[in-house]
Amino acid sequence: MGIKIFRWKAIGPLLLFLAILVLLVVIFAEPIAHDTTEEASTELLGTQVDVGKLDLYPRQSAVDLRALQIANPFSLAQNLLEADEIRLKLNPAALAEKKLVIERLTLHGMRFGTTRKTPARAVKGGGFAPQILQTVQQWTKQFNVPLLSLTPLDTIRQLALDPTQLTTIREAQALVGRADSTRKALDQGFQQLNIRQTVDSARALSQRLSATDPKKLGLDGTRQAIESVREALREIDAAKKRVEQLERSTREGVLLLSQGTRVLDQARQKDFAFAKSLLKLPTFAAPDIGSAFFGQVSIERFKQALYWAELAQEYMPPGLAPRPTSGPQRLRASGHTIEFPRAQDFPRFLLEQGTLDFIIGGSGAAQGAYAATVRGLTSTPSLYGRPTIVSASRRAAGSTLGSIDVNAVINHVTSRTVDSGSARLRGVKLPSFQIPGVPFRVDAGTGMSNLDFTMKGGGTQLFGRWVIASKQVRWTADTARRSLNDIERLVWRVVAGLSNLNVVAELSGSVGSPKLAVRSNLDQAIADRLQAVMGEELAKAERLVRAKLDSLVADKVEPVKRQIAAVQTEANQRVQAERQRLDQVEEQLQAELRRLTGGLVPGIELPKIKL
Amino acid sequence: MLALLKLIQSIIKTLHSDGTPGQVAAGIAIGSVLGLTPLLNLHNLIVFSLVVLLNVSFGGAMLGWALFVPVGFLLDPLSHALGLQLLQAPSLRPLWTTLTNTPLVPYTNFNNTVVLGSFVGWLVLAVPIFFAARYGVARYRATIGERVRRSRFYKALTASQAYNLYRMFRPS
Repeated sequence: MGIKIFRWKAIGPLLLFLAILVLLVVIFAEPIAHDTTEEASTELLGTQVDVGKLDLYPRQSAVDLRALQIANPFSLAQNLLEADEIRLKLNPAALAEKKLVIERLTLHGMRFGTTRKTPARAVKGGGFAPQILQTVQQWTKQFNVPLLSLTPLDTIRQLALDPTQLTTIREAQALVGRADSTRKALDQGFQQLNIRQTVDSARALSQRLSATDPKKLGLDGTRQAIESVREALREIDAAKKRVEQLERSTREGVLLLSQGTRVLDQARQKDFAFAKSLLKLPTFAAPDIGSAFFGQVSIERFKQALYWAELAQEYMPPGLAPRPTSGPQRLRASGHTIEFPRAQDFPRFLLEQGTLDFIIGGSGAAQGAYAATVRGLTSTPSLYGRPTIVSASRRAAGSTLGSIDVNAVINHVTSRTVDSGSARLRGVKLPSFQIPGVPFRVDAGTGMSNLDFTMKGGGTQLFGRWVIASKQVRWTADTARRSLNDIERLVWRVVAGLSNLNVVAELSGSVGSPKLAVRSNLDQAIADRLQAVMGEELAKAERLVRAKLDSLVADKVEPVKRQIAAVQTEANQRVQAERQRLDQVEEQLQAELRRLTGGLVPGIELPKIKL
Repeated sequence: MLALLKLIQSIIKTLHSDGTPGQVAAGIAIGSVLGLTPLLNLHNLIVFSLVVLLNVSFGGAMLGWALFVPVGFLLDPLSHALGLQLLQAPSLRPLWTTLTNTPLVPYTNFNNTVVLGSFVGWLVLAVPIFFAARYGVARYRATIGERVRRSRFYKALTASQAYNLYRMFRPS
């Protein structure tokens, strides 16, 4: 009897095992889905996500989430969003392919900016979202926002400048070294030219021939003499080429040294700015005042927009190329999980339509009817074929409350990605903020605010514009810690009388090299006032700084400049001298050649020498 | 220590089971995939079902699982490298694309480098494991097997309740 392949009696226990497995899934699916949702969305968004309760409805392919809280990554004591109930209707066919396609999302009881009972934990780890958060934090440090300095000039006693801190001195020392090595290289180059030997042998040949009579040399003798002259002329030609080569490299070396002197001038300007900053001279230029007053608060607005745009870049890449992501957390190595999207198929994640309608009643500031829609939010925009559109608005018809409109379009359908968003706030309470560097606080009151942000080509181009306008501005000076000095009092008199505020901040450049320009209606007013009162004093202080700087750097910079000029002159003179010597001896040889040939020996081709 | 005792118990029971050396070796070879690849994936449920349904040594399969778990951990970097090569091979891309978009197949997590690499590693190692295990079991039974069977330790082992449960799945 042969061995049986199947063990039929094991079918019963196997079915029992599978039934137990299904039972376990039914019992533990919701807690596992709850934990997985919290964990995955926390990693995805880079901020703590809490889900109060999660219910699965397998028959309807639906999921209910309750008491959802998404912490604000920029302020951990607050929630970015809090929602009482979210219902997701899923596509079962996509689920069979392990894809999450949300056909419909409805959300009730959403609130923004609520205070958390316990502060959220900062998300750490190697996830992309936390990295983005760190990158964006770093990004803000690229801006050179001037700090408003309103130190009275009478507090300036003396300027203590440490020469080791000055870039000019460091650059000058480096340039001395480069000038020395250029000079050495030139000397070496002239030695290697080996002109003397060529000139001496050519001259000797010329003298020997001049003492002979071509008629007495005979045919062979004349031929040999002509050949010797031609050989000598070829050597002179080669020597001239070597001189030309040396002249070119000399020119390059001298050019580099000249660039070095320009760098020295730039370093001097930088050091002047540095020295001036040590004195903390008051800021007078209107653009500086605008940036100093509203630069930081503007960057904060753009920073948040950039964070979401960068997240979209990472999680919504264009194209259908396979894309590796980190595998699941487990005891075994995570490895990489690679997605293979296919045209005409479901993307890994898609929110087809999300609607969010809710009303906040009562008489509070947040009263109003809100409506928001999200369409086509997907992990593979090229499969979906249309941009993601997000819009949200608040209307409070018949009340004193204004409106809020937020729109965003994320177009990653092709590799030329465009992420743009705008927020329009009308008749809303604007935030109050501290002016950096001075004890002033501005409460913008009720007004309007617009924020437009566009990022193209994954950050190669940035455009941003933030505008706030209010006619109910209130200024407060914090005099509890210290009293205002004279200049601060002067500025205070200017701003305290202003109830209008118009600020325009414009962002341009790229993510790697952003530029910020801020202007406001205060800039010119403050600048004019300060200039009128303190312009002369400030000019005097600036002259002091320049004199102090010059005294420290002049003895380092001027010798270097002279040395560079000397190297340049010497190099030119030596090249010219070598060239003259070669020209002279060449002329002598050409004369001898003419004498030797003199029409007596036809058919002898004269060498073609470039003159 | 308890796990080690259990492993020794499992080895002894399996080596003295009624199955032929081929059945025990087949069980070890099939069960080794449970240890070599990350456990919580759909393909392992299929493997487990095969172990139960096919007339191979169940104990052998459990022994193979236990023995190859540490091997699986050790081979993870190699499995990742192999899986990455396979998943990034341009010639195989149509296959992976089809499998990714086929219902239920993605739940095997084949598109994870460690899962795919370790599974392919098992496919390569399964036959050598089978022959090595068959040779080892046959040699054991022909040499010291009978002496062990008569020992007090073996009698104590087979008297346990767990052994009765095990007998349900012994090969016929």
